[in-house]
Amino acid sequence: MSGEYQKHQVLEKALNFTNSSHSLSRREFLIMTGGIIVAVSALEARGAKEPPLIIVDQAEGLVIADATQCVGCRRCELACTEFNDGKASPTMARIKIGRNLNFGPKGPYAGLRAQGNWGNGLIIQDLCKQCPHPVPCANACPNDAIVVSPSTGARVVDPNKCTGCKMCQRACPWEMMSFDSDTNKATKCFLCEGNPKCVEACPSGALSYVAWRDLTDKVPPRVVPTAVVSPEKAQTCIDCHKK
Amino acid sequence: MEQEPKICTNILKIIHARSESGQLVRVEEILAELKEQGFLESEDVEQKAHLETTLKQVLKENRDLKAISGKNGIPYYYSAQSLSETYAGILVRKSENPLWLIAEVVRENSQLYPRPVPVDSFLEPPFGLTREEIAECLTTMREQREYQDIARTITSVGTPFLYSTQHLDPDHAFTLAEWLDVGQVNNP
Amino acid sequence: MAKYGGWAGKVLRVDLSTGRMSTDDTVEQYKDYLGGTGIGYKVIWDEVQAGTKPFDPENKIVFGVGPLAGTGAPCNGRTAITTLWPTCWPRPLVASGHMGGHFAAELKYAGYDAIIIEGKADHPVWLSVMDGRTEIKDARQLWGQGIRRSTIEINQQMGPEATVAAIGQAGENLVPMSVVMNSYSHSAGGVGGVMGSKNLKAIGVRGTGSVRIAGNKEEWEKAIKLHLSLLGANNQNVVPNSPQPWAEHYNAGSRWMASAGRRWGASDPNIDTGACEPHNLNRIAYRTNNAAFFLGDKAWQYTVRGNGCTACPIRCHTMLKVPAVAAKYGIPEVGQNTCVGLLFGKAFFKTFPDGPRGQTAIEACMVGMHLADDLGIWENYGQLQRDFQALYYNGIFGRKVAEKEFKSYSWDKYEEGDPTFLFELLPKIANKQGELATALGLGTGYLLERWGIPEQEWLENHELLYWKFGHPKHHSNEDAGQCGVIINTQYNRDAQCHSHSNFTRNGLPLEVQKRLAVELWGAPDAVDGVADFTPMNVYKAKMAKWSLLRKELHDCLSLCNWMGPWVASPLRERDYRGEDSIESLLYSLATGDRKSRQELDQVAERIFLLHRALTIRDMGTKEMRTKHDTIPHWVFADPKDRAAFSKGTIRMDRDDIKLAMDMYYEEMAWDKQTGSPTRETYRRLGLETVADELAKRGLLT
Repeated sequence: MSGEYQKHQVLEKALNFTNSSHSLSRREFLIMTGGIIVAVSALEARGAKEPPLIIVDQAEGLVIADATQCVGCRRCELACTEFNDGKASPTMARIKIGRNLNFGPKGPYAGLRAQGNWGNGLIIQDLCKQCPHPVPCANACPNDAIVVSPSTGARVVDPNKCTGCKMCQRACPWEMMSFDSDTNKATKCFLCEGNPKCVEACPSGALSYVAWRDLTDKVPPRVVPTAVVSPEKAQTCIDCHKK
Repeated sequence: MEQEPKICTNILKIIHARSESGQLVRVEEILAELKEQGFLESEDVEQKAHLETTLKQVLKENRDLKAISGKNGIPYYYSAQSLSETYAGILVRKSENPLWLIAEVVRENSQLYPRPVPVDSFLEPPFGLTREEIAECLTTMREQREYQDIARTITSVGTPFLYSTQHLDPDHAFTLAEWLDVGQVNNP
Repeated sequence: MAKYGGWAGKVLRVDLSTGRMSTDDTVEQYKDYLGGTGIGYKVIWDEVQAGTKPFDPENKIVFGVGPLAGTGAPCNGRTAITTLWPTCWPRPLVASGHMGGHFAAELKYAGYDAIIIEGKADHPVWLSVMDGRTEIKDARQLWGQGIRRSTIEINQQMGPEATVAAIGQAGENLVPMSVVMNSYSHSAGGVGGVMGSKNLKAIGVRGTGSVRIAGNKEEWEKAIKLHLSLLGANNQNVVPNSPQPWAEHYNAGSRWMASAGRRWGASDPNIDTGACEPHNLNRIAYRTNNAAFFLGDKAWQYTVRGNGCTACPIRCHTMLKVPAVAAKYGIPEVGQNTCVGLLFGKAFFKTFPDGPRGQTAIEACMVGMHLADDLGIWENYGQLQRDFQALYYNGIFGRKVAEKEFKSYSWDKYEEGDPTFLFELLPKIANKQGELATALGLGTGYLLERWGIPEQEWLENHELLYWKFGHPKHHSNEDAGQCGVIINTQYNRDAQCHSHSNFTRNGLPLEVQKRLAVELWGAPDAVDGVADFTPMNVYKAKMAKWSLLRKELHDCLSLCNWMGPWVASPLRERDYRGEDSIESLLYSLATGDRKSRQELDQVAERIFLLHRALTIRDMGTKEMRTKHDTIPHWVFADPKDRAAFSKGTIRMDRDDIKLAMDMYYEEMAWDKQTGSPTRETYRRLGLETVADELAKRGLLT
């Protein structure tokens, strides 16, 4: 997705809001400030310090997977990066099959309990949960570069703001952040504007794009996140939650 | 008749739905469904005739809709979007006469591809005949003149195949059956 | 940014004798040879002297992939491994083995289009290739281990995502009939011993990089979707196995096995394969079930799912879960493979107590896969098993092997079809224990020579399917008459060409095949009905040339010739046409090097010509027609003595085949008398220096 295009859209949405007569809810305000920061910085204005972006609304959809139907061909990973980025790059793919393909999430030490091609055959597809608030990757970003896509509500990386610090990667319990080694920027599942390429590419129909549901308490994490949230963001959390 | 466009749409829907579930539909069945939907209040002959005309109109306007007739001339309808002519042909014959079904499938395969047909394939959908039914058909065929072209060949591993002598020589049929049953697996 | 997409850009060279490592620029040095076998033949031609033996340190092994490997082009999972072939008899010549799996893609992501292995390590080693960091590692602790254990141990070191290509005990012991294997079940035959001779246990590859698509990404997406829409089931069978609601045609011989009610019964919960309407690209993976195709209906209940290579939606490897084998044989209940790999264990036996499609046959397959794919034994397209049956039932084992050794085998079990017999036999082959097993491990040609059996006996026996040089036929006259015969004369091992058979077996009516043949090869007469062959014509020669060039092209681009070409499709609205230019479309978009179908076929012809030149150089003769392009006697015989071209026979006619070879050489612009390419042909295809080299040796016509 083009960063410029996205900025434009967000700005437009924000302007519509300010022109309208109804007052912004806090939730809407928080979402919009992210967009406004993008817009303002694009205009190179240097004004008062904006409050940090904290995403509170939910995504509209997410991609879910049926592990029993996965045949391990990795066409989803390839569709993700070839059709979006013009290169075949499973490491950068926003759906992750390769790491569970051979032995399952427990890896080559799983012995007889192994999954994947070397075990019982089950292939666990790792997908972005499009987390509800608090969104770990977005909160960990010191540059507020993970914002809400206006079309799907997906949490997306604004490449213009991403500095490639990888704090987001350390924040995701499911290790779903990816990096583009050519641009040194983070990237993540942005739901392809509502038509996920991975879903379309799956030759066994193992993936579906569905209305958002909360999977964060259902799918076990892969790692213990270690990212820290900036003091400014933490303060915003406190401000909001103490009300 | 302000209901006319609605009836047309519903006729189309009925045929499409049947085809999507792998089935053909006869006029009576369409009428019965329309009646259930409240389009046919009574057994009014005139109204029924009118509906049949409407049906003809629907068939004419929707090029994916096809009619296929069995031996008794009764037309069955289907949508070519979901059912092939081949499949529809199998369904018609199956609904009328398994003997005829087997013979025609065997003849078509012997002529077109050409290849013989494994007897056991008639056990599977869409044929769905039982072993007993197949055995009975084959016995009857031997006695009826119109089926004298249907012959049998058995592969080296004992699998029986059927072919039509109108289109295949016994020797050729055997080689083809052997090729399908054993040869392709042994020459992967 | 590199000028071209597709290629990773570098070829890795590792000298195991010195530990020296270097890289070549792929585009600079090998672009005219694309990749895969193209790089392989080029390296052997340039760098390996005539007269070198397969197990000499001077022999080289080239693991080559092409510009499409690692992309989303369907069916790109194959790695071509080119080397001097140890089972090629009576003298080793160049040949290639092809393994699927995930090695090819991972190699590209690691930054390489090929790995050239040279020399010989002074102790067992394995090669670790991680994103351009290559290390030669000590493999002494792995030596003696099977492929499975070795792979897991290497994965523990390199991480779970690495792909490991390893040899088993067979390769270590320099058994010529041995494989290298990656991704659990994907092997390349013949090269295990060559790796063993270099003390190279395995190559582990891990790459986090990418393959750039040079063309516009929307066009690439369109090309991929076009290609996907043309796919059939495995072997490009384009009609289903049984009547389906959507299908105009069906064929009981099709590998398109899916149907409502046929279920992946060992999936939990199980999955109905269903109608698989061809426009539904989200159902392609359910079409093929090779276990059910090869082993019968019983295999459905044991099917976990389909498996296969990177980016291939076909999934020709079927994963089976047969709980009974755990207690009965002490082996894992899950196993997987395809075709001859799947049939490895079963094919040794003539009969089973419950018939060829019963439970015992499936169990024999499970035991066979468990043992062979761990020990790393090659089956030479089933020749090992056909030889075994003939040698036993004709009493040859009894005569050639000492009585004590012969009696040490449980022949009663063997005759009864008891799979436990395989536990006696297979480890002995891998470990060269005893005369019987050692001889079997040599491959047919060297076995016959060792035991003083005239090759003639094998050449006359139709059931053995033996062709020449120690190797069997692979889709010959049974599939495509004279075209198949021509193809089987051309290589130094079994031909491994499927371009022709994937067309003749596609399941469409003969009249449709003939209609497509007009567009592809110029006339309907290019193809015949099965066992209803007609005399030779020039269109069959054109089809043979096309078939060979596409096979070579696929082996260089990294497309699977077990699936391609894609000149027929399941699409009725296309009148079942496929797309003869799909390779050039994919190549041009991926690399940015625009080449038409004809231009790309010409590159393939150059590569195929280099294979021919290498064969001439290493045979030391230009008399290829009489000394290389030979045809076994059984091709000209019929068990019922039916005449050639009568219905029901696949028998060919000697004079007609002479004409066939004439026409083929003419199509190739080779000398008809000798079957050797002319200087003009070498020149036309940019190989004049090759012609010069042959001329110096007196080998140019």
